[in-house]
Amino acid sequence: MNSVPRRVVVTGMGLITPLGSDEETVWNAMMQKHCGIRRLTLVNPDDYKTPVGGEVDSKAIPAMLREAGVEPVGDRTVDLALASAGAALRSAGIGAGCGSSGPVPMPVIFGSGIGASHSMYHAFEAFFQKGVRGLRPTSVPRCMGNAISAQISIKFRLSGPNYVIVSACTSSTTAIGVSFRMVRDGYADCALCGGTDSVFDPFVYAGWNNLGVMSKNPDPLSACRPFDSRRDGCVLGEGAGALVIESLERAAARGARIRGEILGYGESSDASHITSPSVEGQVRAILDAMSSAGVAAGDIGFINAHGTATRANDECESKSITAALGPAAASVPTASSKSFFGHLLGAAGAVETIVTFLGLERGMMPPNLNLDEPDPGCNLCLARGEAVKLKSPVAMKNSFGFGGNNAVLILRGWEERK
Amino acid sequence: MSNDDILVRLRHLMKQSSQAKVDWDAVTADSTIASLGFDSLTILDLVYDIQQEFGVEFEAEKLAGVKTVGELIAFLRSCMGGTAGEKAAPRC
Repeated sequence: MNSVPRRVVVTGMGLITPLGSDEETVWNAMMQKHCGIRRLTLVNPDDYKTPVGGEVDSKAIPAMLREAGVEPVGDRTVDLALASAGAALRSAGIGAGCGSSGPVPMPVIFGSGIGASHSMYHAFEAFFQKGVRGLRPTSVPRCMGNAISAQISIKFRLSGPNYVIVSACTSSTTAIGVSFRMVRDGYADCALCGGTDSVFDPFVYAGWNNLGVMSKNPDPLSACRPFDSRRDGCVLGEGAGALVIESLERAAARGARIRGEILGYGESSDASHITSPSVEGQVRAILDAMSSAGVAAGDIGFINAHGTATRANDECESKSITAALGPAAASVPTASSKSFFGHLLGAAGAVETIVTFLGLERGMMPPNLNLDEPDPGCNLCLARGEAVKLKSPVAMKNSFGFGGNNAVLILRGWEERK
Repeated sequence: MSNDDILVRLRHLMKQSSQAKVDWDAVTADSTIASLGFDSLTILDLVYDIQQEFGVEFEAEKLAGVKTVGELIAFLRSCMGGTAGEKAAPRC
């Protein structure tokens, strides 16, 4: 462990989302205010109260895996993770095909709210149809929660520790936060972190359908409306995001292109209710992150909110931001990327962190879509209409999840500092 | 079902189970199973997929003596009751 905390920078990013599977496509779509939510095709939309969601183009998954030089595993959630990991490693110039001859001692810390759900669905289906002998012999390694990080480690020959963090919608933000701490404190020089989830199998999606938190608006382009008065619940999506992070010293020594810096991370538990959020818990996570980063409320130039578009979340998050930032909250532009993709669950934090870094690089951020009439209960500086021009290169990324999990990252656009 | 039909279906199943980079279109009856990238785990999946596809049941150990794709085809034919004139293969 290092006695002096090290600066932690981002040198690689990869994502696969309902809006596209490369940075430029996703960013341009957001700038043009395109929404990636469509009528569902992976499940029968007529069976569900919410017939719309953010699906990834199924052709993009094998295409990205081919580009990464790896064979698909056959579970959509794991293959999404592999696709994003391959893109992140390639953009960082690390691993197979980038001059490495042996395993790279890099940890793989991935988040997922649901895990290898498609393999589990097929396993349950076979078991209930055919009994014990109907179950595929490899059901255990296919379905185990750590299949995601293990397959990434194996396919890309990354020999640091690998594990999956499961904390609902905070999973990948926590994976990034834990990885950040590993590198900052000297337990690793670099890490591959991110998250993945694919909710669209008939069983898991039915669970969400019956939970009562989803929008019933059948119009895909207007269904997801974070912070809007007419919001009526979240819209789900699928995808994955991966980041290569490393110590500034390592990145500089190998001449890597630095994309941004992680300044701090904070986390907490509400310790109160399994699904209802708590202002008190969220405030602790936000203040913990700001303290970890050494930033004050006035330093923050943008908040990429959790913003799920449920009535409970958006109002609670607004109160939390106001309580944590004080008067500064009224002037910090705030938006939720979920209005573009839907809620990517365990992938949400990673994809939204990548979007935030893309914005920090460009000095601007996408606004909220569908924010026609801000909810008076969400008394924030909510970005509407056009892209937000940033006044500060520091951004906050919030993620809050079922289980009372709260995770917050403080990010900074890259500029050489002394 | 001809041997060629079985071969085509086996190629598809093997491609699904193996995860190795193999030119599956080039796999013939003479190809050895050992050259197709199966390990102790993925071979179990292949056995499972074969059983589901062809509606046969056998213990994986029965394949211990099967070295080539052609021998696997003969073994499957014996499981399906079509051994006449086929090369000798382990019985189901």
